[in-house]
Amino acid sequence: MKTKLIRKWSRILHRDIGFFFIGTTLIYGISGIALNHMSDWNPNYSVTIEHTTIVSSKLNSEMTKTEVLEIVDNINYKHNYKQHYFPNKEQLKIFLKGGSSIVVHLPTGNTTTELLKRRPLIYESNYLHYNPNRFWTWFSDAFAAALILFALTSLFMVKGKKGLKGRGGIYTLLGILIPIIFLIFYL
Amino acid sequence: MKQLTYLLLALFVLSCNTKEQSKEAETSAVQNEIALKNFDTEAVNYIGKEVRVTGIVDHVCKHGGKKLLLVNNDAQVHITSEERFSEDLIGSEINLIGIVKEERISEATCLQMEEDNMKSHSEGMSSDEQFEAKKKHIAEYRKTMVDSGKDYVSNFSLEYVSLKEKETQNENEADSKVE
Repeated sequence: MKTKLIRKWSRILHRDIGFFFIGTTLIYGISGIALNHMSDWNPNYSVTIEHTTIVSSKLNSEMTKTEVLEIVDNINYKHNYKQHYFPNKEQLKIFLKGGSSIVVHLPTGNTTTELLKRRPLIYESNYLHYNPNRFWTWFSDAFAAALILFALTSLFMVKGKKGLKGRGGIYTLLGILIPIIFLIFYL
Repeated sequence: MKQLTYLLLALFVLSCNTKEQSKEAETSAVQNEIALKNFDTEAVNYIGKEVRVTGIVDHVCKHGGKKLLLVNNDAQVHITSEERFSEDLIGSEINLIGIVKEERISEATCLQMEEDNMKSHSEGMSSDEQFEAKKKHIAEYRKTMVDSGKDYVSNFSLEYVSLKEKETQNENEADSKVE
């Protein structure tokens, strides 16, 4: 009787809280994959690199802002100008709005433009994954607690050979063993 | 119920604004201002103290966003933080208050860095280019130690306290150079 009640409530909680956190699960799932591969790609922006050469007698590390704006205008980004500086005597770095930038090699006029474009959905998911404020801390704590609850309720949801005493038990054991084996080898 | 929701939203917005305003007030209160080009030489006098610096945000660390590189034509300073910096700051001129931190790089640190560099390269975590750059960097530390006659190199950085973004000048305004 007691086991039946536990099973019933496990199903109810797992189902209803599961529905509530579908959106959050997708956010953490998507951003989890995106951020896991940070060394292979930029998880927030798609990056396009463009190369051009500017022909101008004004290219030097004493250039005025108007002269810099002329360069930006030459490569059609004047309306996006944000700021500039000279990292050294041979380089000019121009920042554009939205995180893009142009690096000009002053002696040759060769420019490298790095254009960034936000990855829709993934950018927003990553923003939330990084815990932007206190409200989200509380909400994500609730989500973490719900994950613990999902794990515990899943132990009681199904009975018989598909449950903990059968196939479910083997899967549970495997899921626990994998991180343990990893820790033995890599910690 | 509706009123309660509005009240909660208003409180939430208000709390965010209050935090921002108090940070801005803090920015103007700190008197010790160091020009970025003098940071490496003057920072030693302010270890553990708050100073104010002004510069352009060159980049925000994409691994976690808790590091920022502040630059101008003359120098660059690393800023670290417990909080994440917004990537929207890239390219903005900011006035930042931070606590001066000193990191001492000794021969023991160099040996550890060498070991870490080899380990991460052999595990495929760093490219050949990154591996060579790190090796060069360690060699530079050793050369600086020999040149200075000290058994350590001081690396100064700032631990973020607050910042205020300077308004970007209109393109028709001053035909100024970046200082």
